[in-house]
Amino acid sequence: MQSTTPTQQATATALPDLKSLRLPANYGATLGVKKLLTQVPVGRPKKPQFFRAHAADQMTFPAMLLEQKESRENYLVTPDVAQEISELVRPVQLYAAIDRQNNVFLIPVPLPGEDGTRNPWHESLAQAVEHAKRKWLRITANMNVGGYDVFEAEGPLPEPEWPAHDIDALIEVAFRGRIITDLDHPTVQTLLGRI
Amino acid sequence: MGMEAFTDGIILVDFEFHPVSGREGNLPTPVCMVVREWPSGHTQRFWQDELQQMGTAPLPVGERALWVAYYASAEMDCFLALGWPLPANLLDLFVEFRCQTNGLHLAHGNGLLGALVYFGLPTIGGEQKDAMRDLVLRGGPWTLDERLAIVDYCESDVVALAALLLAMQDRIDWPRALLRGRYMQAVSRIQRNGVPLDMEPLAALQTQWSAIQDQLIADIDQDYGVFEGRTFKSSRWEAYLMAHDIPWPRLESGRLDMSDDTFREMARTHLEVSPLRELRSALSEMRLTNLQVGDDGRNRCLLSPFRSRTGRNQPSNARFIFGPSVWLRGLIRPEPGWGLAYVDWSQQEFGIAAALSGDSAMMAAYRSGDPYLAFAIQAGAVPKTANKISHSFEREQFKACVLAVQYGMGEASLAARINQPVARARQLLALHRQTYRQFWKWSDAAVDEAVLGGRLWAGFGWQIHTRDELNDRSLRNFPMQANGAEMLRIASILLTEAGIRVCAPVHDALLIEAPLDELDRAIDTTKSLMQEASRIVLDGFELGSDVKEVRYPDRYMDKRGVVMWDKVMNLIGKPTLACPEAARRTSLRPATAPVHSL
Repeated sequence: MQSTTPTQQATATALPDLKSLRLPANYGATLGVKKLLTQVPVGRPKKPQFFRAHAADQMTFPAMLLEQKESRENYLVTPDVAQEISELVRPVQLYAAIDRQNNVFLIPVPLPGEDGTRNPWHESLAQAVEHAKRKWLRITANMNVGGYDVFEAEGPLPEPEWPAHDIDALIEVAFRGRIITDLDHPTVQTLLGRI
Repeated sequence: MGMEAFTDGIILVDFEFHPVSGREGNLPTPVCMVVREWPSGHTQRFWQDELQQMGTAPLPVGERALWVAYYASAEMDCFLALGWPLPANLLDLFVEFRCQTNGLHLAHGNGLLGALVYFGLPTIGGEQKDAMRDLVLRGGPWTLDERLAIVDYCESDVVALAALLLAMQDRIDWPRALLRGRYMQAVSRIQRNGVPLDMEPLAALQTQWSAIQDQLIADIDQDYGVFEGRTFKSSRWEAYLMAHDIPWPRLESGRLDMSDDTFREMARTHLEVSPLRELRSALSEMRLTNLQVGDDGRNRCLLSPFRSRTGRNQPSNARFIFGPSVWLRGLIRPEPGWGLAYVDWSQQEFGIAAALSGDSAMMAAYRSGDPYLAFAIQAGAVPKTANKISHSFEREQFKACVLAVQYGMGEASLAARINQPVARARQLLALHRQTYRQFWKWSDAAVDEAVLGGRLWAGFGWQIHTRDELNDRSLRNFPMQANGAEMLRIASILLTEAGIRVCAPVHDALLIEAPLDELDRAIDTTKSLMQEASRIVLDGFELGSDVKEVRYPDRYMDKRGVVMWDKVMNLIGKPTLACPEAARRTSLRPATAPVHSL
């Protein structure tokens, strides 16, 4: 049966330099697609969420926050307005943070009071955020001790890939439509019982 | 580079031919040939008796000549049948038309007539073409009028080819088009070789398949009770599932999902389903009457190069021995004194993804030799000292995750596949994204390119228009599949031109054959050239390969088909089959010859 298939002939011509014909798989290179930063949540990391805090001081932002627990909304209040409603706002330091899925968020850490002290929860959170500048952590509230338990990832996890946005850009996205610049703001009016 | 480079001429060619003895699977017999020089239009017509007298083509075939054809592997089949040297440069306008229009809707298809219509060129009628083709396939002798009609018809195709070349010449991507033409020559050589089959069991299967089916159903269905005659009753299957508390996927309509994919997936986690799945597969895919086998016992069929959207070959499942159920591959057997080798690239898609995306972690995982375990280590899920044995469970899960990413599976499908909660599947997929960030960035960019740029391409110019293709899974998978196809094409060229006898390309593998005393050397050459092909496509990144060899009298066997093969072969020897002659064929049993699981 084999005899019906003749010995194959090899063509005499040389192969061209095939590598020189190769086209790069640089998809998207000329299209300039980039991921837009559309959401920056503000709040503590969730219980199962490993996170890192940005180590640079310029990636923090001192702010006065008005927290609406019912609607789970945070408002950024300008200093002049904050003076007028000091009993409603809380001074915080906002820290840029990122989780393992590259989601960026801001962690508000309450600042010490006038006497220089913080309650244990806030102190515990501040310590965790400081630690998260170097390690991947997750935190869980521990009611018995009045603070957060901190869990450090044991694996050799890669360093976070921070987006190329400065803190002002993060603040702008995080508080888009939620910046209070005068006392006529509906939220303030409601809290003051004026409407 | 352009057509001006071909100073010895540009020759348009077409053959008419039919298989020897009119039997599909036999080698072609050229009936006539027409060549037309371009652009002069000087035409020569040759009848078969003249062709047989010629030791070479009537016009130059060297480096400075270009031959042009439509679906050129057929013309090259005739060159080989006549013992002529193949042209150094071959342009296949079918392949170029496919490449230029892949992904577009073509109302008239991509045959010669379809291409002519696409460019607004005049055509002969499809009915007339069919009639002439039938006349050729009928075989001789032909009357003088018939001969004239056949040659006229052949010439009309060459005239059409000239018009098509004029329309397409500015769109030709030289010299990648010539590389594709070169592949069509490799295809022709491979088709000519074909795959050696063991004719005795094939004949037994073909004559007794009806009785075998009944016996298989009787044997296997006694545990299920879901067949009525040869009909699988879904209502009975539903009752079985309820009785055995097996949750089965359903379609949106609420009906049970009866696809083979679902049976295959469910059989992984519910082993009791496996025999029934094999039976259903065997019954539905067993179309041996269409398997094209020549008088010499070799399976030969069109490999249908460039037919799939990814540029892979797409031979008919019914005609190609690697098409039907895997157990039928047991029919593949080297001839006396010969051996076969099945050589495939190791984890080809993973390697391509790693190299093209430039993900260093992924490349390191591939180079480790066990990318699945390496992934688990890189993700921090197992210690660095882990190995296949110490962490086989974790390795299987990470392997399933890698494959799930390649197939575009979601977390639910992956969970079902690994028989774990969805949360575990979600975690694995997240680990893949975290571990191989550069790959995902590149994969996302491919989708952006497809959606915004309107096309994707592979390393040597195969492309797809993606305006109408918004399937995220297909778009992400295209670069791996299309570059895998490029790699196979280049390997096929390198191997066939080095004189290796390639019997068949099979997705990411090549089946070769050689006399037993040359087999080891042929395997070494094959591995080496396949590695070279990977380096060419992946810019220096090398893929390894795995080899399984079969030496006469052993037969080839896919490990997934061993059980069914043995079951069927045992049935052939049983007197319970309706055909009494079958009972005497005890020599067909496979047991004595060792089975090589591939």
